[in-house]
Amino acid sequence: MDKVAHHKNSSSPASIQHPGTRTYENRERERSRSSMASSCHEVEVPGKPTETGTALLETATGAIQGFGPVNQIHQHLCAFHFYGDDMTRQGEAHHFCAHLNEDVRQCLIFDGPDAGVRLIGVEYIVSEALVLTLPDGEKPLWHTHEFEVKGGVLFMPGVPGVVERRDLEKVCKTYGKTIHFWQVDRGDALPLGLPQIMMALTRDGQLRQDLAKCTCTLSQKFKFFILNLENFRAFSSKFLNSYSLFKRLVNELEGVGFIDFYVAGVEDKFSVSFQKERENRAYMSGPDHGIHPLANAAGKGLKTHLREVDLPATTTAAHAGRVFT
Amino acid sequence: MSSSDQNPAPTPACGTGTSVPPPGKATTVSSQLLDMGAQAVQALKPVHQMKQHACSFALYAHDLGRQVEVHHFVSRLNQDVLQCAVYDSDRPSARLIGVEYIVTDAIFESLPPEEQKLWHSHAYEVKAGLWTDVGVPEALQSSEMARMAKTYGKLWCTWQVDRGDALPLGAPALMVSPQAAEPGRGRAELVRGRDERYRIDSSAQGLKGARVEMDEPEWINPNADYWRVHGKGFAVDVAATEMKRHAPFP
Repeated sequence: MDKVAHHKNSSSPASIQHPGTRTYENRERERSRSSMASSCHEVEVPGKPTETGTALLETATGAIQGFGPVNQIHQHLCAFHFYGDDMTRQGEAHHFCAHLNEDVRQCLIFDGPDAGVRLIGVEYIVSEALVLTLPDGEKPLWHTHEFEVKGGVLFMPGVPGVVERRDLEKVCKTYGKTIHFWQVDRGDALPLGLPQIMMALTRDGQLRQDLAKCTCTLSQKFKFFILNLENFRAFSSKFLNSYSLFKRLVNELEGVGFIDFYVAGVEDKFSVSFQKERENRAYMSGPDHGIHPLANAAGKGLKTHLREVDLPATTTAAHAGRVFT
Repeated sequence: MSSSDQNPAPTPACGTGTSVPPPGKATTVSSQLLDMGAQAVQALKPVHQMKQHACSFALYAHDLGRQVEVHHFVSRLNQDVLQCAVYDSDRPSARLIGVEYIVTDAIFESLPPEEQKLWHSHAYEVKAGLWTDVGVPEALQSSEMARMAKTYGKLWCTWQVDRGDALPLGAPALMVSPQAAEPGRGRAELVRGRDERYRIDSSAQGLKGARVEMDEPEWINPNADYWRVHGKGFAVDVAATEMKRHAPFP
């Protein structure tokens, strides 16, 4: 989530506090650096800033290298994922996708749309026909996209609705397999622990509204309260027609001490309305054969475990012929 | 339900023992046009941060005899942390088979021991000439390689293409790096194949020789490369559980 300002109040929702007091200037700096970074737990990745020599070298080497698979990435989809064992832990997921063919897409998932965001997982998006060929033990790992599309919450930032809907008609019928490696939502500064099987929204009531819409805390002067800011948005949209202007207004209000805390939701950041999109997409349909009962974790939940195993004997001759090309 | 070290039940999508392309119809012209249109208006900034293409080899942590050539497309989060999209080749049709995170020794030392056992060292892989930025002259990449030799990596494989999976099947699998000891040595024919294809000489006359003088890490944390000390591997299981939830599912 876009953290425009940090909590000053200790009773505010979880946010890792950095030591030291924050000056307004500091916050300005952080704000510009992490503009649109999507984790609400804004923990910085440890490490020194990239040295100029390193950056220059990468530019030089990058210029003479080929980036075959990366150049195939043609599409940015934004949606939400939650953990296979915990729906309450949800996050914004930015998919950067390439078609392997008409039925298979492979996506890198980042926690935001900007440079400097974290690569948190991968998703494979596969047509219904192919998913139905998968072994039954595999199907629970796959989730449906019908609700995400028809519910209006999956979108392609910046792509006009008419064009977007042409593709979402297809996505609506697909299944996805998502694995996250970096649990940024719990504040991990580095990718720790095991990969997690992720699920996607399948009905109303699941999406945490603070991810969708902006959250704002007005200062003590106005008594402390958190708004799910329909009113503020409505008010501001009368005067402001873009997110950047809206953000400037928020900054101004914060500057004079009227706002303590503001986090933009996805709808604000990308100027989309899930409700409006839902209406636009009402005509779309999901998988032709209906949602497979084993998909979506077979209706339960999924958890990963690490198991120590004996290593097979040194020579695995059986694999010798499986040389990978 | 599913384990990284178990073969999936036989279906059209899995296990013929050879590497097969994913099933599915050729990408339609309309999809291509939509993609081109999307690309024209979408910035795709995170993707443009991938500025390094490295090639090396990876071994499944549950069966070191299973080894694959891996192509890393690397983006840098800062001087000490890299994140890589890992593909099975550098062709446009390459499959996204996993993700690797790379951190410097200083960061690695700060991790808890339980976490460290999932990571592998890069010193041997680099010094042996296995890890190389494809197409970049050694003189230009040597400083980056010297840095890389002191790093640790954590690589998750999500598509076991070497066992012939036509689609990504099963649980994610941990992978490790080649080492100077069996059963974790890189297989010679695999290295030879890569070297011939990219006209790389990773032998003692080539990259390996050129990197002899490269500084080695003063020590490699014994918690990394778990199999070398413990002789055991790791597999990942996906099991059914109750989901914590605030609304019905699905």
